This record gives sequence, C-alpha cells and structure tokens, in this order.
Amino acid sequence: MKRPWLWLAPAVSALAALTFAPLLATLWLSLHRRLPVFQLHDWAGLDNYRKLAFDPRFGRSLAVTLYFTAASVAIELAAGLAAALALRGDFRGRAWAMGMLLLPWIVPSPVAARMWSWIFDAQFGVLNYLLVSFGVLRRPLAWLGRPWLALHAAILADAWKTTPFMALLLLAGLRSISPGLERAARADGAGPVRTFFRVTLPSIMPMLQAAVLFRALDAWRVFDVVYVMTAGGPADATETLSIYAYKTFFTTLDLGYGSALAFAIVFGAGLLSAAFLFLTREATA
Amino acid sequence: VGRLLLLCLLLCGCGARSKPPAVRLVFRHGGSLGSEPFFRSLFEEFEREHPGISVSSELLPANTDQQRQLNAVELQGSSSRFDVLDMDIVWVQEFARAGWLLDLSAYFDEKTRSGFVPSTLRSASFEGRYFSVPRSADAGLLYYRKDLLEKYGLAPPDTWDRLARDASEIVSKEKDPALTGFVWQGRQYEGLVCAAAEFLGSNGVRFLDERGRWAADDSKAARALGFMRDLIGPGRPSPESVLTADEETARLIFGNGQAVFMRNWPYAWGLFAEPGQPMKGKVAVALLPRFPGGKSVSTLGGWYLGVNHRSSHPKEAYEFIQFMTSRRAQTALFLRLSYLPTRKDLYLDPGLLARAPQLAEFERALDRAVPRPETPAYAGLSLLLQSEFSRALVGRCSPEAALRRIRRRAGSLLNPGGA
Repeated sequence: MKRPWLWLAPAVSALAALTFAPLLATLWLSLHRRLPVFQLHDWAGLDNYRKLAFDPRFGRSLAVTLYFTAASVAIELAAGLAAALALRGDFRGRAWAMGMLLLPWIVPSPVAARMWSWIFDAQFGVLNYLLVSFGVLRRPLAWLGRPWLALHAAILADAWKTTPFMALLLLAGLRSISPGLERAARADGAGPVRTFFRVTLPSIMPMLQAAVLFRALDAWRVFDVVYVMTAGGPADATETLSIYAYKTFFTTLDLGYGSALAFAIVFGAGLLSAAFLFLTREATA
Repeated sequence: VGRLLLLCLLLCGCGARSKPPAVRLVFRHGGSLGSEPFFRSLFEEFEREHPGISVSSELLPANTDQQRQLNAVELQGSSSRFDVLDMDIVWVQEFARAGWLLDLSAYFDEKTRSGFVPSTLRSASFEGRYFSVPRSADAGLLYYRKDLLEKYGLAPPDTWDRLARDASEIVSKEKDPALTGFVWQGRQYEGLVCAAAEFLGSNGVRFLDERGRWAADDSKAARALGFMRDLIGPGRPSPESVLTADEETARLIFGNGQAVFMRNWPYAWGLFAEPGQPMKGKVAVALLPRFPGGKSVSTLGGWYLGVNHRSSHPKEAYEFIQFMTSRRAQTALFLRLSYLPTRKDLYLDPGLLARAPQLAEFERALDRAVPRPETPAYAGLSLLLQSEFSRALVGRCSPEAALRRIRRRAGSLLNPGGA
C-alpha cells in the first residue's frame, strides 16, 4: 500500500466538492446579514443563530419536524416489519405481492403527494365520499383544513410512500437468517412470540437500525410531500424545518437567516445520527 | 444540372432576403398553456412595424413563485440574457428597490400614463419613479347565483352581514345538502392575503402608512378577521373546506352549482360562460360587500412589464412594451387570454363591450381596487400575514393576538436596514 492518500484522493475530492464545499458556503453565508433586495451584505457573526433562538416560528417548525419524524418512522417501522414478515416465506404470488408492495416507492413524491391531497380533498375527495356514503361522517370533513388532521394526513402520505423501503431492507435481513436458528429455538420449546423477540428480531437488529436511521434522516429533512400537500398550512401546522428554510431563503430572499435555518437542519441531522449511534452502541454492546 | 440550378436558386433566394435584424429582444414571461403561437403572432406584428428588431420568448414555469425566484436569481447575477420581463404586481417594488429594473420615467411620461386606469398606475412606480408599465389588471369580485337570488327576491348584498344572512337563508330554503353559502380562498397561501385584504380593507383598514410602516388599525382589523373566522363551519355560510381552498377549488365548487356566492378574480367569468358549463347564464358579478361604515374594496392584481437593468437595448425594449400595452395588443390579449386591459378607453369601447358586456362590471371593481401593501419587503410580509391570518382562521389564536404578533414582527421585516 504505497501512498494511500493518492488512491483516496478522487473519492475525497468528490466528497469535498459535493458535500463539504456547499456546507461550508452555507455556514459562511449564515454568518452574514444578506438581503440582496435591500443591498445589505455585511458580517453578522452569530446574530442569525441568536435570532433562531427567539423565533417562535422556528420553534414551531422544530416541534412539527420532530413529531413528523417520530410518527412517520414509527408507522413505517411497524408497517414495514409486518409486510416483511408476511413476504418472508415462499408462497404462490409472492413475486406479485412484492411488486405491489414496491409500487408506492416507485411513485415520485410530488405525484404521490398530489394523489393524497386529492384523496383528502374536502369537496371532491374519495375519502370523504366513502365516509359520508357509509354514514361514518354526517358531512364532509376538511382533512387538510384542520391543523391536527392535516399534519397526520401528511404523515400518513409520507409513511405510505416510504414503508416499502423499510420493508425491503427488513426483508433482506429476514431472508438472511439461517432457518436452523429459528427451528432450534422452536425445538427448545420457545413459542412463536418468544422466538420472534429472542431470535428473529435480534438477528435483523443491525439491518433494522440502519433502516430506521436512514428513514429518520429523510423524514427530518422532509419537504416535497408536505409542500405539495399543504405548503405548511393551515396555521403552520405542517410547516417543517425544510419548508420554513425554503420560504425564508427563496421567498423572503433573506439569504443569511435562510442559511442559518438550513444549517440548523444539517446540525440537527448530525445530532440525530450521533444520538442514534450512541444509543444503538449501548444496546448491542 | 437540375440540382445545380436548384442550389443556385436557393442561394439566390437567401441572398435576396433582408439582413438579419440588428436588435434581438428577449421577452421573459410565464406564457400560458398553448398560447405560444398567439404570442408569436403578436411579436410578428411588432417586428413588421419595427424593422430591425426581432423578439423571442423565454418561457418560465407557470408557477408565479418559481418565476419570481428565477428572475431574482438572474437579475441579482446581472444577467443580460433577457431584456423585457413580465412581473406580478407585487414584485415591482422589490425589483425596483433592488436596482434590477431600468427607470422608465423618461419614456412612460405623464401624457402616456393618462391613458391608463389610475388604480393600476400606483404599483408601477417606486419612490416616485416609474419602473414598469401595467399590461393587465385583476380585481377581486363577488360572483353570485343570479337564478337563486332572483328566486328569493334578493339583490346582491352590499354588506358582509347581508351576505352571511342571504347565504344562510338560501341554503336552508333550498334543502340541497350539497349547496353551500359562500366560498373564498382560506388556504394558507398568497390568495388568503388577497381575500383578507378585501375583508379588512372594507372595514377601513390600511396596512401601511405613507412611509411604508405597518399602520393597521388593530381593532378594526380584528373585527374583520373575526368575521372571516366566524363565517366558517357547520351551519354557517362557508363550508370548512374554504380553509383548503384556492381560486381553482372555489371556482370548481361554484362552477358545479354548489355555492351561492364566491370571491374570485375575473378569469372565472370566461370559464363559466363556456358552452356546456352547468352555471352558464346563472352567474352574475358585483362589487364585494363592505362592513357598515366602510367601502367596498377589491384587491388589485395584474402583470407589469419592466426592462432588465442590464439590457443592451433599453430603447427598443421600451418600444416593445409600448406595443404590448397598446390598445390593439391589449384587446387581443383580453379576447384570447382574458387578460383585463389597463387602458381606460378600452372599457368604453363599444365594439369590445358588445362582445364582452361584463367589462363594465369589471371596471367598477378595478376603479376601487387597492394594491396589496406596496413595499420591497412584500414577499416576507406576505408570509407573515399568511401564517398569522391562517392561525386566526382555524382558531389557533384570537384575531387580536395574530394582529399583535404581526405588528411586532413587521417593523424589522419592512425595514431590515433598521434605519
């Protein structure tokens, strides 16, 4: 192994150019007050970050994003695990079921979001149509017009879209468990529940942890699904950090503060991964 | 030999044609679906009258927010790739403040301006100088079901209370479960600011003072905002779905015959009048209602033409703007794409009125149309208003609390330099 750095150089420089350079540029911009419309461009130090601490809209979007991440990952994990277990064995029509399972993952996010916003539409949506015709609701409900319902509608749409990803990773984990392991547990007298929690689940734990981390980071930065469905409304109830940062940067053209918001998202993602890795290290040690 | 002759003919043909135009103008706009051949024919007319100038379109995405972003990015980067740009009314102050537009005051002089509808002119200027020319106008209107109001012997309502009462009365007497009273734009987006500006404005609220500072009368504004909130809900004039409604949602509901009243822009008129539409012949428009003691207010919309500060052909660019805002072009744009004219005399043109009698009603609304807050910081202010108005409408906070927060935030937003 002569001159390992030389061999690493292409990978490192690609990473530097595509990840670290934009990140540093954003950080640099976030230390400035920059509003091109008002020809303002000066050094601001940590002012933008101080502003974050006192911005109630930032606080609200942080809470929305945390809740969105926790809820959508929990739903995806439960649904994904159930789907993976169902598709684990060999049965007739398994290939067909796999195909069906992957369908939501193939649909581009904005298209899926459009579809869901039509399903939830108060006046013309199929959900209200069904609920009213079956007598569950007396009158149509504005699903995307009430803060709590709108947030959960967005979570559901995101979970629908990404459950296949979770299922696929977990299925790969399940298929790699040697069948002898579970048979041995059964032979030793463990029931199906005990086998699942003592043998199956621990065996796929590394895979499950990776899948949850991937999805949590994605959900933390969620933009497209929610933006197309509600654009953050009503009453900012679905305004995630990415949506708030986008509005501040691209609509208000407050480039300094918008960058601070963007950097806060990156910082939060880092924090999230670090906490996750720390916790899972404890668990497996 | 035949082939050689053909080649010769071709070459001669090319040589005989006029020299390529010396000035090539690029017009940047959003266009609209399928309108490209129409714009092309307009440009050709201009090119015939101005030998030596050619015009081409650069089309932007249909979404206005994206158009604004793309324009802002390139203008900030001092791009000279385009000469004339089409601007939504609320961008003019911002782009002028940023120094991205050429001062057109020398061309767009008082005499020329006197031909335009006065309400459309204010937004064309910034700090007393003209940076743009209004090419089309828009104003909020009250649409109503002529057949239903006649059936119950009602005149179009002139106050908001009357509208609420009439809507509830008609809905309860009609006994049609699908029929609602009044649909408008209550989703958290720009359209909510347009609608709210009409409710608040018709209660005597002005958002900004002469110096561009936040100056809304909080108690009057709170009363109007509270009225908007109380319109919504079961047993009330507006269905809960207005909280998710934009212009198109409202138009579809009203166009299906599922609402007695609707707040919308003039574009909806042409669509209801199309053959086969269920509401054809049953729709009429009126001025929006007011609060007692207030005056009816329509939010002013519209598109304005400006010249890129980096354009190398400012004079020719203005000639093109002159052409696009001429009576002829505005007539064509109205008839083909329903853009309302900005020239006064077109609203008195007998030929045009015969083809489009609704112009008379549109003009009444346009006359009293009020622009949204005229400030270079409009985009940020609008985001704040959208958020707080929406919070008040869904009952997350009281109208008073929403207005207090707007007042607190507006100062630094409107004057970020802090001078």
